[in-house]
Amino acid sequence: MEKGETFGVVGANGCGKSTLLKLVAGIFRPTAGRLEVNGKVSALIELGAGFHPEISGRENAVINGVMLGLTRHEIERKLPAIVEFSGLSEFIDQPVKTYSSGMYVRLGFAVAIHVDPDILVVDEVLAVGDEAFAHRCLDTIQELSARGKTILFVTHALSLVEELCDRVLYLDHGRERQMGEPREVLATYRLDVAAGEGARLADFHVQDQQTLLESPEKVAVDEASGTELAPEGAPPQSAAGEASLPPEPAARAVERPRRWGDRSAEITGCRLLDATGSERYAFQSGETLTIEIDVVPRRPLDDFVFGVGLFTPEDLCVHGTNTDVDGLVPELLDAPATVRVSLPRCDLGAGTYLLDVAVHSRRETPYDYWRGACRFRVDSTVADVGVYRPERRWTSSGGVRWRAS
Amino acid sequence: MTRLLDLYRHRALIGVLTSRELKARYRGSVLGFFWSLLNPLLMLAVYALVFEVLLPNRSPGTSPYALFLFCGLLPWNWLSSSLTDAAASLLVSGALLKKILFPAEILPIVAVASQAVHFLLALPILLAGLLAGALGLLGPKVALGWPLLQLPVLFVLQGFLLLGIGLFLAALTVHFRDMRDILGTALSLWFFATPILYNLADLKGHSVARLLAWNPLAPLFAAWREALFFGRWITLPAWGLLAVLSLGSFAVGWAFFDRLRDSFPEAV
Repeated sequence: MEKGETFGVVGANGCGKSTLLKLVAGIFRPTAGRLEVNGKVSALIELGAGFHPEISGRENAVINGVMLGLTRHEIERKLPAIVEFSGLSEFIDQPVKTYSSGMYVRLGFAVAIHVDPDILVVDEVLAVGDEAFAHRCLDTIQELSARGKTILFVTHALSLVEELCDRVLYLDHGRERQMGEPREVLATYRLDVAAGEGARLADFHVQDQQTLLESPEKVAVDEASGTELAPEGAPPQSAAGEASLPPEPAARAVERPRRWGDRSAEITGCRLLDATGSERYAFQSGETLTIEIDVVPRRPLDDFVFGVGLFTPEDLCVHGTNTDVDGLVPELLDAPATVRVSLPRCDLGAGTYLLDVAVHSRRETPYDYWRGACRFRVDSTVADVGVYRPERRWTSSGGVRWRAS
Repeated sequence: MTRLLDLYRHRALIGVLTSRELKARYRGSVLGFFWSLLNPLLMLAVYALVFEVLLPNRSPGTSPYALFLFCGLLPWNWLSSSLTDAAASLLVSGALLKKILFPAEILPIVAVASQAVHFLLALPILLAGLLAGALGLLGPKVALGWPLLQLPVLFVLQGFLLLGIGLFLAALTVHFRDMRDILGTALSLWFFATPILYNLADLKGHSVARLLAWNPLAPLFAAWREALFFGRWITLPAWGLLAVLSLGSFAVGWAFFDRLRDSFPEAV
């Protein structure tokens, strides 16, 4: 690291970020290799470490300051500024055992920042404290950085890293995966995270398909479960059928099966494909997404409709459609078949989605309905919110100007 | 060695932590600091009751017995509470060692230092008792005089002794946690093996006496009593022995602690 640099470290939990910081802070010693630190280090690893619950915030601030290397005189002089910064002047003479965890961290941060270090080591501490204080902390860090202090920074808030850091190190299992420009490194990191998530979801999908395939035959469901994928009407009630969530109460599970229908035609598989035709369960917003349904009829059918429905885990219907409403008139289904529906631009917002697939008659008799047949993630590089991400363009006129980004 | 010099640099830290320790201990209790005086008095009352009324001690020269006892009991309290606190100190403050760069040796030192303050706070009671004894209010008169001046030296020597043992125990307990439990029993055994309830000279001829004479604490507690109760000057060889014991203990304790220092943040 260079002097005056703001350096970020990212990586999954347990990849060694905190250990690295502790090494730099001198708390741990390297078992191999060499580490050189020039300057006074202040470590914001555990704010308020060493506060004694029984004594007042003021006294703790003094002791903490001395622990961090100030003389008694210096800390007494800085105390008013510390109290002011923490915003705890009302409570400063109360024993810290009466403090909330946020207040605890505020006082700790206030002290640590006033130690006036050459090198500031920050470990994911800004996550605590309220919004206003978090902003204040960031401002302070930026100010310190502007004053030429060296800052080593660990956080999972990637946008912060992008905003604050000059260089970023991406650690993977204790080794350097990539180091350099924040934008590049974070892109790699995000891709890796998405790939990991994608692999996990793909594994989940394989298992979940098996569960659905083995689920017992069930012809009728109570009326409430609305067995049809009506594009315009009441959304089919699809409870979040996620195996990774805590199991639903037994009563509900009986009430809302994952699969039903008389199996005149049987769904034997369902998967999501990307633009290249390979199976995937993690997508970027705006990518091409294809839903593929395998079906085997028990007898030749001339009355059949294929339907799909997209839901959020909270059971909000994002979109539902079927071959009937889209104008496909059935003629014959008399052999195993595969039906695909493609979304050239899947403009979903970032999040997890559940897909219901079904084959039923035109008069809404379900042949086979799979609730939560696929579970997939959509990631987005843009921090907009919501389930729908339309293409958009901002224009303006009059006395408003924008800086080129 | 530089670590040893660093201690001087850390004196402010030792100071604030010790005062924190004392403040925190009595925060919220009604009698507060008076407990520092009251505790030894109550303990003295218990021992005096047992050994003057229930099982009277008949050896000559130990009278007034309560005073005789107090001269040993007070330094013993300092010793036993210091060692108990010091042994647990690193584990109790593990967060400090793990989360911030903190000189670990400060913790056992603070344990010994804050107990030293309790000792000093209780000292006026002992001196008042000695004064009463000198006036003959408690039975046979005790000699009170210039030998009291040896008290600060004894205080310093016991301080170094405790730091040595305290550092040793603190480091050991991190890796061998059973020590905390062993220590309680060991201290009660050590209490009876040390001439506090009795005078070692009175046991002459007893088979155990020779064994007890090897107790490294015996010279120290004999010295406290010489200076306070009997009002005698401690001989030069005795001083020599005390100095070797306490400084030796400190050197060994420090070396042991320093050796294990790097292992603390990960082990606590």
